[in-house]
Amino acid sequence: MAESALAEHPPGTGAGFADLVRRHRSMVFSIALHFLADRSAAEELAQDVFLQLHANLATMKSEDHVTFWLRKVTAHRCIDYKRHRTLPQVSLEEVAEPSAPAPAWDPILERRLRQVMASLPAKARLIMILRYQEDLGPEDIAEMLSIPVATVKSHLQRSLALLRQKVLRSVGGVTI
Amino acid sequence: MTVPNQHHDMNQIEELLKNALRRQDAPPDFSEQVLARVAEHNSVPRVRHDTWWSIFIRPLVRWSAITATAISLVVGGIHYRNARRERAKGEAAKQQLMLALRIAGSKLQLAKAKVNEINATQVKKQSSSEQE
Repeated sequence: MAESALAEHPPGTGAGFADLVRRHRSMVFSIALHFLADRSAAEELAQDVFLQLHANLATMKSEDHVTFWLRKVTAHRCIDYKRHRTLPQVSLEEVAEPSAPAPAWDPILERRLRQVMASLPAKARLIMILRYQEDLGPEDIAEMLSIPVATVKSHLQRSLALLRQKVLRSVGGVTI
Repeated sequence: MTVPNQHHDMNQIEELLKNALRRQDAPPDFSEQVLARVAEHNSVPRVRHDTWWSIFIRPLVRWSAITATAISLVVGGIHYRNARRERAKGEAAKQQLMLALRIAGSKLQLAKAKVNEINATQVKKQSSSEQE
């Protein structure tokens, strides 16, 4: 386990902060990228999150706290970004059904999955990202987004059912 | 579709999601850019937005204000207490005057009744002497 940068370096020192950025950059960047589906916007948002972390470094108590804080701030910033800027929204009708059975894994299938993900409402999409990218349980997600656990579970169920319908069923029951 | 198939589909979807939503590497110069932005942010002199109450940061001003407030409170309290005392005195005087007026009024009523009684007696005596 990586030794905590917070323990090695007092808050605010360049070395400790650089280490935190190095260790958490892919997590923050990926949440933003999967939510926004725009690399440059995701990069900018992730940088803003780390700037905010730098400003709040003195309040960080542990490595786990930093991870929780980064996920939470990134999630809220994604929602804010969506609120203030209109993302290219894909409607479910626009998501075309595949015409032929897909092989075990292909980029087309992944692209299709991303399209359906992009058509989900912002909160549902974020919940899916936190669940399947970060492997968080519904309780952790609920705490992070300050919503009831039941809401998280229902979002997950609805989104999974939709993805199943849009991605798998149309393939005609053929094993992918 | 049967339930086992549904379960199988769900597992497949979850696997697909985990794969599609796997973490991606940040751009190679990401850390450098963040650190550059932090350095830039730290080098920019922070503009102090002085508010009216920021004058109280200076100890002399702060203690003067505290003293002035304390004196005002004491003087105001004394003034308020005196005003209340004067008002109470006025109320007592008013009550005394009202009592005196009520007593005088009742005395007058009594005197008037006596006068009327005397007048009636005299009239009765006069009329009886005239009859005789």
